[in-house]
Amino acid sequence: MSDNPILEIDNLVKVYGSGKTAKRAVDGVSLQIKRGAFYGLLGPNGAGKSTTIHAITGIAQPTSGVIKIDGVDVVKDYKEARNKVGLSPQEFNVDIFSTPEQLMDFMGGYYGIPKDERRAKIESLIERFDLQKHRKVKFQKLSGGLKRRAMLGRALVHTPDLLILDEPTAGVDVEQRHDLWEYLKELNEKEGKTIILTSHYLEEIQYLCNEIAIINNGKIVAEGTKEEFMKGGKSVEQRYLEITREDNKNNHA
Amino acid sequence: MLNRIGLYTMFRREVVRTMRVVVQTLVAPVISAALYIFIFGTVIGTKIDDFAGVPYISFVFPGVLMLSIINASFASASSNLYFMRFTRGIEEILIAPFSYLEMLIGFVGSAVVRSMMVALLILAVGFLFGAVSLVNPIGFMLYVMAIAAIFAMLGIVVALWAEGFEQLQVLNTFVITPLTYLGGIFYSITFLPELAAQITRLNPFFYFADGIRSSMIGYSEANTQVGIVVIVGLVVLLGWLVTTLFKRGWKIRY
Repeated sequence: MSDNPILEIDNLVKVYGSGKTAKRAVDGVSLQIKRGAFYGLLGPNGAGKSTTIHAITGIAQPTSGVIKIDGVDVVKDYKEARNKVGLSPQEFNVDIFSTPEQLMDFMGGYYGIPKDERRAKIESLIERFDLQKHRKVKFQKLSGGLKRRAMLGRALVHTPDLLILDEPTAGVDVEQRHDLWEYLKELNEKEGKTIILTSHYLEEIQYLCNEIAIINNGKIVAEGTKEEFMKGGKSVEQRYLEITREDNKNNHA
Repeated sequence: MLNRIGLYTMFRREVVRTMRVVVQTLVAPVISAALYIFIFGTVIGTKIDDFAGVPYISFVFPGVLMLSIINASFASASSNLYFMRFTRGIEEILIAPFSYLEMLIGFVGSAVVRSMMVALLILAVGFLFGAVSLVNPIGFMLYVMAIAAIFAMLGIVVALWAEGFEQLQVLNTFVITPLTYLGGIFYSITFLPELAAQITRLNPFFYFADGIRSSMIGYSEANTQVGIVVIVGLVVLLGWLVTTLFKRGWKIRY
């Protein structure tokens, strides 16, 4: 396995709008994520987490800065870069009349996966996410938990090197959330998949992630291993609150 | 390398979407065309002498077919992309390995697939009424595909521009429908006063209808070279415009 980082972000800036209404959603973010990491990206609403993810995946156009996935520039060599990343977004960005099976089938097709290979992968994902009974049910009729599982299946259909999960357990009940955690842990530890996770459930971050960054007001304000965050017997949640409150105080001073 | 499986998947998805609302997408245009054929062929056509050496219905049929192709192609492209913008389903395409040119081919090709399904059904109805002849099948296919592509690209531009469902209909209501009906699909421009005939020659829809008609019945009222320049020019211009808009991510990329 290569020692090169799977994701390198150098001075990413994203500005929405222009003139007086311009909003600097991401303001000089730089990150390096090691291959095989389970990386938690934390921050309050509007801090720049989703915008950073959008810039990595091609949903947003960076204003400036460089993003490389496995050494491939996401702007210059965007086609190659897209093959390396899978996204389960915060919002359900799907055709709500499609079934989970169709969502995975179409997504696999978009990634150029041949039919037989695609079929086999879909079957394994449907089984893994326990979607057998719901495979032909329209997305709009699924429960919140089933929708999340279908989104995860769609994100994994092309076996990406880097999996990005933006609030993957929002609206999922406790039991299903724990099932999902075990699956993600297995995906990271046994299959070596690099995962970036954003979540407002900080116990989820503490349980799953081995590296953590906090983004606030568009900037990375803290980054380190989970152990470094939890130094002194503090929980991730306690450290998160300390860091963001301190940063907000400094910004308002 | 061209993402062939990805493009085929986009076409396949449009077929699934078309069949999901089959009454609206296939049955309605066929009924509408059948009514035109019945009225112009059986009711009015039998009272009119042969026109340009063919029954009146054979003169009108290419225009009816063109009208259906234009509507199917425009509606397919505009509703598909607008709905994807509305639900953010467009992100599936943005995160997938498609170049901007492939996005153009995918969206336009999907709309052309639907309009070809409509065209085949209408041709079948036309055959039943004896309204179909085809003197130049290759020319016919090229005209039909090019016209479907032009209106698919216009549909894409409107889908990107529209901020509401009502705006999707603006171009159709105020531009496409009037120019289609005034483009000589139901009449010969020889029926018009000279000034009106000259004005009609400035209407690109006149060349669309004339191209399809000439390939079907061998009768033409337009300068073929001018018609080809107009059609190819629009394909190239709109293709450049749509690819540029996709590259800039206008209204689809944050």
